[in-house]
Amino acid sequence: MSKYEPVIGIEIHVQLNTLTKAWCNCELKINGFENHYVCEVCSAQPGTLPVVNKQAVDYALMLGLATNCTINKTSYYDRKNYFYPDLPKGYQITQFKTPICEDGLVEIGSENGDSKKIRIERIQLEEDTGKSTHYNDYSLINLNRAGTPLVEIVTKPDFETAKEVTNFLKKIQSILVYLDVSKGNLQDGNMRCDVNLSLKPIGSKTLGTRTEVKNLNSFRSVERAIAHEKIRQASVLDKGDKVLQQTLLFDVDTGANRVLRTKSDADDYRYMPEPDLLALSVTEGQIKKLKENLPELPTDKVERFIKEFNIPKYDAEVICSEKKLANYFEKACSLHQGNAYKKISNWVMVELLKLVNEAKADIETLKLTPKHLVELVELIESGKISGKIAKDIFVEVYDTGKYPSDIVTDKGLEQNSDTSEIEEIIKEIINAHPKEVAELKSGRDRVMGFFVGQVMKKTQGKANPKITSDLVSKLLEL
Amino acid sequence: METIYNAHLALKDKKISAKELCAEHIKVAKENLNNTFITLTEDYALEKAKKIDNAGIKSFLDGIPFSLKDLFITKNIRTTAGSKMLYNYVPPYEGTTSANLQNSGAVLIGKVGCDEFGMGSSNENTAFGAVNFPMNKDYLPGGSSGASAVSVLEGSSLFSMGTDTGGSVRLPANFCGLVGYKPTYGRVSRYGQIAYASSLDQASPFARTPLDIAIIMDAITKNDEKDSTQAPIGAMNSAEKILKNKETKLSLAIGIDRSMVDNCREDVRDNLNDSIKLLEKRGVKFKDISLPHLKYSVAVYYVIATSEASSNLARFDGVHFGYSAKGGQDLEDSYALSRSEGFHEEVKRRILLGTFCLSSGYSDEYYSHACKVRKLIYNDFQNAFNECDYVYSPVCATTSFKKDELMTPLQMYMNDLYTIPVNLAGLPSMAIPYGKSSMNSLPTGFQLIGNSFKDEDLILDGHKIFEVLK
Repeated sequence: MSKYEPVIGIEIHVQLNTLTKAWCNCELKINGFENHYVCEVCSAQPGTLPVVNKQAVDYALMLGLATNCTINKTSYYDRKNYFYPDLPKGYQITQFKTPICEDGLVEIGSENGDSKKIRIERIQLEEDTGKSTHYNDYSLINLNRAGTPLVEIVTKPDFETAKEVTNFLKKIQSILVYLDVSKGNLQDGNMRCDVNLSLKPIGSKTLGTRTEVKNLNSFRSVERAIAHEKIRQASVLDKGDKVLQQTLLFDVDTGANRVLRTKSDADDYRYMPEPDLLALSVTEGQIKKLKENLPELPTDKVERFIKEFNIPKYDAEVICSEKKLANYFEKACSLHQGNAYKKISNWVMVELLKLVNEAKADIETLKLTPKHLVELVELIESGKISGKIAKDIFVEVYDTGKYPSDIVTDKGLEQNSDTSEIEEIIKEIINAHPKEVAELKSGRDRVMGFFVGQVMKKTQGKANPKITSDLVSKLLEL
Repeated sequence: METIYNAHLALKDKKISAKELCAEHIKVAKENLNNTFITLTEDYALEKAKKIDNAGIKSFLDGIPFSLKDLFITKNIRTTAGSKMLYNYVPPYEGTTSANLQNSGAVLIGKVGCDEFGMGSSNENTAFGAVNFPMNKDYLPGGSSGASAVSVLEGSSLFSMGTDTGGSVRLPANFCGLVGYKPTYGRVSRYGQIAYASSLDQASPFARTPLDIAIIMDAITKNDEKDSTQAPIGAMNSAEKILKNKETKLSLAIGIDRSMVDNCREDVRDNLNDSIKLLEKRGVKFKDISLPHLKYSVAVYYVIATSEASSNLARFDGVHFGYSAKGGQDLEDSYALSRSEGFHEEVKRRILLGTFCLSSGYSDEYYSHACKVRKLIYNDFQNAFNECDYVYSPVCATTSFKKDELMTPLQMYMNDLYTIPVNLAGLPSMAIPYGKSSMNSLPTGFQLIGNSFKDEDLILDGHKIFEVLK
């Protein structure tokens, strides 16, 4: 492997979550009853014409603005001609020559932790096909999806590793969700990724022949397909053979990429301007309005969280990677009376995410609401319960939605800060462990932990650890 | 009572009922002397006429029997495009032109034949048999909207809607001595009009007078949000204007490229020169203009129109609707069989031509190049309109041609030499009949070409000119 380095670019197809389809007023309900969300336009009845869905145009513009693209004031629709039963018109309406957005830039985390800029070549408006399902001796077509508005995002070949690709995909996914222009789900096909990969000898400027891998519907598949393709192309080159310009299909079961078609028999899509649609004009005012109403993007939110809540960049990035998580955190912070934001962030990133990920739960519908979390953190902060107790009851709060204060009261878990009571216990321990007392007195500070631990054991964790250690010091005259 | 306007007056004065008027026309249609109709809608028409009689005559089109070229979509009424491909196709939706006319009170008698998908100049390329020319059975009515012209001529309709992509309405109008009107591209919605070449197609009426054309145009120019290439400038109101107008003087400047007239056959040329003299006498100033790029029109047209057609007709693949051949071995084979058996020669020729023109490696040389020349042709006309109100041009160098006249496809294409530039430039044009041929007594005429979206002026002035030459 070490002889070659990969050059990777990707294409992402994103289904926009508009109310209606791209060219007609059909409701967008891909998973509704088969062929029920179909009209004369999206079933390509003779004589029908497309009308542009303005919401789809706005969504594409928002995405272009969010990815630092240049917006083309005038762009054009083209026809990509090919025959397939789930493409009833016999052509796809797309933007071939002049797309709506070009020359974007998105910053991602790279392998070594630095940030890296990925250039976007173009974002174009187009439409989805229907869905074919093949059986032994027949196929069925469902046109509910036909005419779903899509944007295709094409990057420059700026990726060097699979990790960079998945980081980029995650970034785009989070932007899509923040903008609320797509559900952005790879598994459900809202977001589909094709990977273009070629190898070149390390240090070489000359690009090799690239292949295109399709059918990647998870981040894991993207990584596996890239890994496989690097090895496959390297072995071809090592044998002295040439890599063929092919379209490959990733097989989830085998982890291999198999050939779908070889490009030498030239796909000729006979592109032509779409005569049924006018040029797409975007005004300065329209862009300005969209810009003003653009929701806060992940990068901006990270910056703000760092400033507003004084949390580390790492925390802010983890929390902001998902819009719902960021909302959850922000809600908790707004309910919080103090400034223990870092504590809230810790609870969200560690304990909460662990449970959420295990259960694949929806953050918005958790029984453990931001209010619950804040109450828990404040119980710790005020010294009412120990961190250990808090961890113990966290799962119960998560499972039941009971308030932490109620659980603490019901179970008598409140932290003991009564000095005389703790003093009595410490005295007992001092008497029982003369060896450890000597050690502590001789300056072995870490023995303090032994004493605190013993006190905790006797109080079932309820003694206030700070008070305990202070009392030990006082009693031993340290 | 051969015109819409006269029929309207008779209906209004209760000299005839809508039901009687429609029955008269349906009777002619059913005699079927000329193989005009593909589908008759007798019951539907009589029912509608009865309703109109009950409701009373209000608009010009109330109770007026008409026919539609079978490229116009009619909901629940078979629409074939003259093709085996759509032999049994019953549309699930209503087209805009059909809806506009019927909502204005016109009564649909039926769907008439045409060259398959509007491709042809003779009305012979059809799965439903050629249409006869009632004036002389040895000759042809022209195409592709030949049957629409014949339905008016034979008296089975008071008007008919055709489509004009390269002259398909003006040519048969010219051959049949009718008025044919091709509106500015984008004036009439194309929604529900089976597409041949989307950037050229325009719904175009046949009638006996410009006043009738005005009545029809007023009904079919409403804004339609389903066609984004239609200019949203609202419906015309030209019929009232014609009726109110008392001015008959023709203070017009009309441009003419004399070589176009000179290149016509003698009988046509003589009549055209006659009409020019007559118009000059009535105040028209003819100005010599030059339209230097028009000679490339036929070449440009056959690249652009066939390219668009190759894409527009891709949906006829035997999968979703229309003719589906049995016995295909696999998907590709099924496509090939359905399309080979479903389309006639001329359609196949044009699909192949267009597919070639758009192929990678050729597209720049043919399609892109043709688009550039198209712009030059448009500019030629714009230069002319700087100097004149209209451009005068022949419709065809000859009269109607004989059935057995052997023509190569290219010779056939050259018939559209004078009509095609208008479509390429997207301009409105009215074919106006004038005179009879000294050779075969068949009608001759010319076309008056206006500037973009000057439809109303053209119809108003066309009316005056028509009256002068009558």
